[in-house]
Amino acid sequence: MSDLAPPSPSAPSRLPFAASLRFRSGEGVAIRIAVAAILSLLCAAVLVALSGHSPLAAFAAMALGAVGSPHQFGVALNRATPYLLAGGGVAMCFRAGVINMGAEGQIALGGVGAAAVALVWPSAASALTVFASLFGAAAFGALWAALAAAIHLGRRVHEVLATLLLNFVALLLVQQTLAGPLGQSGAGFLQSPETPPASWLWKAPEFGAHIGFLIAVAAAAALSFVLWRTPFGFALRVAGSSRRAAAYAGFSIPLVTWGVMLLAGALAGLAGGVEVLGVHHRLIEGFSAGFGFKAVTVALLGALEPLAVVPAALFIGLLEAGAQSMQRQIGIPSALVVVIEGLTMLFVLAATVRRA
Amino acid sequence: MIDFIAAAIRIATPLLFAALGGILSERAGVFAVGLEGMMLMGAFAALIGAWASGLSLVGVLFAIAGGAAIGLVVAIVTVRYRADNMVTGLTANIMAIGLTSYLLRILTGVGRPVAIHLTPLAPWPIPGLADLPFVGPLLFDQPPLTYLAAIGCVALTLFLRRTQAGLTLRATGENPEAVFASGVEPMKVRMLAVVACGAIAGLGGAVLSLQQIGTFTDGMTGGRGYLALASLIVARWSPLGAALACLVFGAAEAFELRLQGFGVPVSSYVMQMAPYLIALAVLAGLGRSSKMPAAIGQPLHWDR
Repeated sequence: MSDLAPPSPSAPSRLPFAASLRFRSGEGVAIRIAVAAILSLLCAAVLVALSGHSPLAAFAAMALGAVGSPHQFGVALNRATPYLLAGGGVAMCFRAGVINMGAEGQIALGGVGAAAVALVWPSAASALTVFASLFGAAAFGALWAALAAAIHLGRRVHEVLATLLLNFVALLLVQQTLAGPLGQSGAGFLQSPETPPASWLWKAPEFGAHIGFLIAVAAAAALSFVLWRTPFGFALRVAGSSRRAAAYAGFSIPLVTWGVMLLAGALAGLAGGVEVLGVHHRLIEGFSAGFGFKAVTVALLGALEPLAVVPAALFIGLLEAGAQSMQRQIGIPSALVVVIEGLTMLFVLAATVRRA
Repeated sequence: MIDFIAAAIRIATPLLFAALGGILSERAGVFAVGLEGMMLMGAFAALIGAWASGLSLVGVLFAIAGGAAIGLVVAIVTVRYRADNMVTGLTANIMAIGLTSYLLRILTGVGRPVAIHLTPLAPWPIPGLADLPFVGPLLFDQPPLTYLAAIGCVALTLFLRRTQAGLTLRATGENPEAVFASGVEPMKVRMLAVVACGAIAGLGGAVLSLQQIGTFTDGMTGGRGYLALASLIVARWSPLGAALACLVFGAAEAFELRLQGFGVPVSSYVMQMAPYLIALAVLAGLGRSSKMPAAIGQPLHWDR
């Protein structure tokens, strides 16, 4: 191995915290992931049986709740949208060996960015308002990711710790904004005033699904192109599979890290913005609770492949829309869906992912 | 002043349990990101155990078992199946949030407020010592689990430094090949260490639910597992250092509660950021000087 040493002694052969997620083998990953999902649904069936309900009835209610009507399907699509946007960014980070756990905070701040721009934007020209608000969302998300990247690269704090701790700060920052400049007084809880209708995302009639899902699919396609067809994508794939090889090839690990963090931050911010402009039409405290983890879930479920993240996000979206109606109809707590997601992740991690 | 220090100790106690568990896990070479989930499951199991049996001791045993169960899941996925430590730990945290919330609702009914409330554990004054001025009420008039945390801190220090098993555990985190060569299976050491980490962190959860609050709410650990993780890194994987770091976090939070009590015109949201910002600042200040176990997070490559 020593003959593979990087050319200059100052080039880092291995960052102290170099980490990388790698899928064990190309073929068979899809089957493994499907088996993981089925196993976790079986575990969920046991949990349902524990509560004294019939698992079959529960799953039937869930399926009906997910695709039973155009409206229900629209709900599922809207659910999947932020996970898909943020999950694509997380997948790129993981590909590059950067374990970015900061989507939660980046999404929340993206919501702030979107709401802030939409509320202060003077013009009524619809397309422009939406564009500016979404730009604000992406910028806020990228800014928060940049902070994490700076702490990680500048001070060698592990990126997982830097991003996780910043999540808590970001959520408090959102509350502070809502208690102060952006808040609606007298609402009873923390929320902003309604954004002007010009800033709302276009909705498909009958389905109630907003245009965000299409934006997210386009973003996934773009990510796939970047990952597989551009020099940056090549550099990040090399950095993710071997830091030594990346250093030897002359790729700068800090540059790659900056690149994927900013990209993921912007996408996560966009996810928050789409949620605010498409679903709530205002910034509400906790509007994105748990979204960051779901982004990691769909990234891994999609085998870190941007295009495969689309069906993964749809699966989670359908699951959640279904669980809501299952809770309404037969009284099984919808927290079950969090357990299913966690179990799926654990099975996927055990079955496919190796640390390089 | 006594109130202030007492509050710091109270806030530090659950953190310390989690940090002690995390030290075991990380010294053996597995990142302890799952502390949050282990605490949460411990808090839930403790409350259910104490509520069902009417005995606090049963609650404490349940907490140990609940935390260890999450530890076992993390151990199997990370050690046996060699998955990424960080992502697995985080997943375990989320699964614990879902599982506790689901089970609690099954037990108490959907849509109804939580119906389980217990009287928090009372302090056990130590005869004679508790009457000392100043130190008496601070050190010798505490609830039982607080004493246990202090004892655990000393015990873990002795275990790591003075016992053969402690040496093996540390070696597994530094150089698993050497451990293997000496005839011990490093995989077993890591599995045991992570399960033990879960059990101890579970006690930290019991402190919250049994000793301090007397009920369970969804996600009641609220990021304490991550703060414990930060404090053990800041303490460079030393139990006594972790106690100090936890006390600093406790003092920061106690100070924040104080300021709010006095009506200082600083937003409570900004004040609540303090522990996380302090953790980040200290980690950043340590920078590259923090020396972590050499083989931490690295999978074991041999199978038997």
